[in-house]
Amino acid sequence: MINYILSILLIFLISPFLTGLIKSFKMYMLFKKPLSPFQPYIDFMKLIKKEVIYSKEASIISRISPFLILAPIIVVVFLLPPIYKGSYYISFMDAFTITGLLSLSTFFLMLLGLDSASSFGGIGSSREAFISALVEPAMILTIFAVSLMAKSIGLGSAAINLATHFPTHHAASFILAGIAFFILLIAENGRIPVDNPETHLELTMVHEAMILDTTGANLALIETAGALKFGVFATLFATLFLPFGANLCWCLAVTVFILKLILISLVVGWIEINTAKLRLFKVPNLLGIAMIFGFLSLVTFYIVGV
Amino acid sequence: MIDVLIGFFLATLITQAFTTRLFRLILWYALNSLFLGLIAFYEGININDDEMKIMGIVTIAVKFFAIPYILKYFFAKFNIPRSIKPITSIQYLVIIIPIILVFTFYLITPLLNNFAHHSNYIAIAISSLMLSLLLMIEHKNIAAKIIGFLDIENSLFLLGISATDGMPMLIEIGIFVDLLMLIVIINILFKHQGEAQ
Repeated sequence: MINYILSILLIFLISPFLTGLIKSFKMYMLFKKPLSPFQPYIDFMKLIKKEVIYSKEASIISRISPFLILAPIIVVVFLLPPIYKGSYYISFMDAFTITGLLSLSTFFLMLLGLDSASSFGGIGSSREAFISALVEPAMILTIFAVSLMAKSIGLGSAAINLATHFPTHHAASFILAGIAFFILLIAENGRIPVDNPETHLELTMVHEAMILDTTGANLALIETAGALKFGVFATLFATLFLPFGANLCWCLAVTVFILKLILISLVVGWIEINTAKLRLFKVPNLLGIAMIFGFLSLVTFYIVGV
Repeated sequence: MIDVLIGFFLATLITQAFTTRLFRLILWYALNSLFLGLIAFYEGININDDEMKIMGIVTIAVKFFAIPYILKYFFAKFNIPRSIKPITSIQYLVIIIPIILVFTFYLITPLLNNFAHHSNYIAIAISSLMLSLLLMIEHKNIAAKIIGFLDIENSLFLLGISATDGMPMLIEIGIFVDLLMLIVIINILFKHQGEAQ
């Protein structure tokens, strides 16, 4: 039980570091003077002290939605697969629950964007709805393929099955599912080919447009939710698609896990500096590719045989 | 290990079908050939066949380094347009590619019993043959058609590795020399396309 609490605390604490790391890695690669990777913590401490201002048109939604954006993601963190063997985990939750909880968080984010009655918020909400509607089918296909390979629909037991006896004859199918999930990781977290998290340019912003009117402590909560969401996806990728190192003793296993998270962040940062942002109406193509890879993974699974 | 490599082989091939930039297409082709060479090398280690190991190394040298480099040189020389729009839009490709894969796997099922091991490799090799054909069909641009042709060659090589235990080395070397000659001859076609614009 104490292991479980500690691993959850680890994910909570490391998530802002990962987003900060992506940013400083990008700045380093573009020959700028890099920010400290711990900048998100400093921003959080600064924002949490500031006064909260609501716009005149704002209703009760603006007051409650920062908490409702953060809460489902916190619940998801408690349902993640164990990061080392022997740790306690919640076995009765499957991946569809996690998808649903993340959608709930996105739903309140969209409501927040609409509630401030500025035109940017509306634009941002409609774009977010467009993208997250396309993410769902690919996500379900991918997760279904992984569950088939791991012979368990529950997320925790799937990760343990993959770590203990990896299905080597399904490796092709596994790789394809991994690629699909990585595209989804980028799309869901609003990283560069889909959305640029750093600009405030009206044509391109999706996530920033919705939170343009939030201030102070609310903004701190929403930024934390974004960082945690990246942490959740990175943990899922590290435990399901890089299933090694979990059988070592706990100190080594945690080190390997943190290294895997850092590796994922660096890969995401490396993709960001090498690609241009897609036009909004080309985003379905990218997610279509994810869908094909998910489908292909299923087909290959059935061809190779159970 | 070969399962992992064959997954990457198929993944790079599918990504080629969606690419709209010419040099990116060459990059994916080069990666595809790299994975093919590694497959041949590991298969050579598995069945302890020196010829196949050499074939793997030659594949990497020729198809991963030489052919992409020569192609890039010619593309730059004849000012081939960099943007290669597929005729079929990507929305339809999302439907067409899974249909092709499922259909090929369905088609190949009666044959699979004839092969004791590697039956899935044969299915993947034949479906990648179909995907390369799709790559040739969906582009008007001659450069993309040539990459599609080279992909067909790659899939045939994969089929040769998995269905038989490797063809005689002389034939394989002959095919490589053929390919290099073909790439040189193809630049006549490039010249025409360059003049047309």
